[in-house]
Amino acid sequence: MIELEQVSKSYGLKTAVDGLSLRIEAGELFAFLGPNGAGKTTTIKMICGLLFPSSGRIKVGGFDMRTEGDRARQLLSYVPDQPFLYEKLTGREFLQFIADMYALPPDLGREQMAHVIDLFALREFVDDLTESYSHGMRQRTVFAAALLHQPRVLVVDEPTVGLDPKSVRELKDLLRKESKRGVTVFLSTHSLDIAQELADRIGVVANGRLIGCGTLDTLRKQTELQGSLEDVFLKLTEETTSPTRDLAAADPK
Amino acid sequence: MRRLSAIVARSVREPLLFQRLRWRQLRNATRGVWRDAPLRLPTIVLCSGVVWIGVFGVSLAGFRYVERWIPFNGDIIGMVFNLMFLLLAGLLLFSSAIILYGSLFSSAESAFLLSSPAKADQVFAYKFQTAVAYSSWAFVLLGSPILLGFGIQAKVDWPFYALLPLFFLGYVLLPGSLGALICLLVVNLVPKRRKQVLVLAILAALVVIGVSAYQVVVTAQTHRADREMLNRLLDPFRFAQSPLCPSRWMASGLIRAGRGDFKTALYYLGLVWSNGLFFYVVVSWLARRLYRRGYNRLATGSSLRRRYGGGWLDGGLTSLVGFLDPQTRLLLVKDFRTFRREPSQWAQILILTALMSLYFLNMRRFFSEDIRWAYRNGISLLNLCATGLLLSAYTGRFIYPMVSLEGRKFWILGLLPLRRERIVWGKFMFSATGGVAIAAFLVLLSDWKLEIPPTGVLLHVLTVTVLAAGLSGLSVGLGACLPNFRETDPSKIAVGLGGTLNLLAGLVFLILAIALMAGPWHWSAAQSDEPPSGFSDFSWTFVAQASLGLLLGAAAVVFPLRAGARALQRMEF
Repeated sequence: MIELEQVSKSYGLKTAVDGLSLRIEAGELFAFLGPNGAGKTTTIKMICGLLFPSSGRIKVGGFDMRTEGDRARQLLSYVPDQPFLYEKLTGREFLQFIADMYALPPDLGREQMAHVIDLFALREFVDDLTESYSHGMRQRTVFAAALLHQPRVLVVDEPTVGLDPKSVRELKDLLRKESKRGVTVFLSTHSLDIAQELADRIGVVANGRLIGCGTLDTLRKQTELQGSLEDVFLKLTEETTSPTRDLAAADPK
Repeated sequence: MRRLSAIVARSVREPLLFQRLRWRQLRNATRGVWRDAPLRLPTIVLCSGVVWIGVFGVSLAGFRYVERWIPFNGDIIGMVFNLMFLLLAGLLLFSSAIILYGSLFSSAESAFLLSSPAKADQVFAYKFQTAVAYSSWAFVLLGSPILLGFGIQAKVDWPFYALLPLFFLGYVLLPGSLGALICLLVVNLVPKRRKQVLVLAILAALVVIGVSAYQVVVTAQTHRADREMLNRLLDPFRFAQSPLCPSRWMASGLIRAGRGDFKTALYYLGLVWSNGLFFYVVVSWLARRLYRRGYNRLATGSSLRRRYGGGWLDGGLTSLVGFLDPQTRLLLVKDFRTFRREPSQWAQILILTALMSLYFLNMRRFFSEDIRWAYRNGISLLNLCATGLLLSAYTGRFIYPMVSLEGRKFWILGLLPLRRERIVWGKFMFSATGGVAIAAFLVLLSDWKLEIPPTGVLLHVLTVTVLAAGLSGLSVGLGACLPNFRETDPSKIAVGLGGTLNLLAGLVFLILAIALMAGPWHWSAAQSDEPPSGFSDFSWTFVAQASLGLLLGAAAVVFPLRAGARALQRMEF
């Protein structure tokens, strides 16, 4: 469902993503890990079509993001690390806007809206203006909007930031359930526990390059370690990365 | 066929979707304003109404005067309309380009919409309509009373008034589209040089306006009011009378409508609309191809590290305020550094100051002979009031929101080993230093050009110092007492309840301070036909009243700042 072929991206003279190739199948939950400035958000933005690769090709659902981006985005939902809501719309109005944007038939739209409002427990505040929402309420609303049109690809960037433990647990259950339904989940996170618990495969990127990709066992073999994902991750990134300031320069958010 | 009908359905559905989105936001925002600040909307309507009525009154009087006293008034009115529409088109072009740039390429909403299935040209159209609506309200506010005044004076038929909104709507499309085109091209072709392009464009416009205005004033001063003078006046603006110039179409169409020649007026209306729509279609077609490309170029065209200079400015300011304690000095320099790194903040003050300086430097040229002392006395008082209003705008717009803008970052200052009242005093010193510098420069320039005697100059400088200090104290103090930490847009903070209160308090203080400190001297000077020489007009009465003004200024500084410091002390984050 998501294919990256030798994708590179440069910001001026700096290369944020360097020759990245990935293939993520339908129904797979892929965790994308890396230190700060490694190129995760840049990669995600290229998958969603916000940025264009300097070289290489990206396909989502078989559609080239460069030439058939509109059709690819019809299959995609993107939840950024700082989700956007229209401050002067209520949660319900925002969901209705999303339903209309994705051209859901009215009956299906109503049915799906009722479903996500129940699923994410939005009923108490869905008719208030989103400017009054707390961070957790915003996150739930944005996820509800992301799943409203039943996407085939869900791209999520740092979803657990600022969430309480109950919300994190609900989020994990949600991502697991979507993946089981056949949705391709591309998850960027700093939370190694979540990646280890949920991911079918894990990709580790540093300095714009994919330095490890596979199941946890595959990565353990690569690093010759039997420890947790944290041990594997630190070993991989220590071997590859230079001093901290170069990491910070590589990938601006 | 099914694919075509799907494309057509989508072409209708998406624009309607965005219209619905806009309508819902407007409706909810209006309801919110009625609920939380019920006085705000009526205040805005009232103030707009006052401006509209003022412009209408001046226009009506002006058209009556021209018709009664000025020969060749038909040509003059045509020239005035030409220039008016040309100027408005220029303003619309610039403001549309700037608003669209921010809206299309910098906003979080753009990233959200571009990652949705919405087509790039539909997103562009949605943003374009909003940008043109924002840009053109001033066009409508200023243009409609002028044209209504013309209509009433010329006793036009009712279809003239019916055609007015149609002309306006059609006209805004053309400069709006050109502004959008410039925005798209600059971002796509020279993303790294966009700021330089903007600065060059502004400079070029200022040079053109300055040179043209200079030629007009010199011509008016040096020639008799005859046809030759009129031709010389029109020379710099001949291009605006070209048949290819849209402002000519507007002017001609409206004048023909005023004369009852509706057939020709409709021809010009068609010309305006067809060209406006043509350019809109062109720019929409380009947006489909260039918007995403431009978004990508802008996001990735700059280098990762931005280098910020200006350390010498900070060093200079540190030396200037060396008399302050180290902590207050550091806070002042911190505020100055953040202020100067936001051109949207200081550019407005710079433009206003430059315009006022230009006016002060050239005001003598508006008079064919040397100005009599009575006029110089009055004009210098008016200039002092104008400088005071500029200070009021500066403190209300930029200083009042400062505490609120610290917002979520206040925990940084709150945890530092310094007394919170230092924060308030630091902001006060920052504001007062800048305010005194700008105001003293302007008032000295004005008094030099008007040859005001030394006593007057001294009183003026003292008055603006008191104004700068008092308005700064009020703005900082009230800003600390009534903060709005949820809002990140300073313009929205400035127009809230606290900002309105600050504005009113500032205006009352301004009137009292000028009346107390400069009023008596101007009154006394107006009793004579000749200006006093040296300090011959010195009087202890002036000293006493100036002292009262100083006390008023001190009160405007101390009480609000103490209240603000107490509020900060009690504040929880």
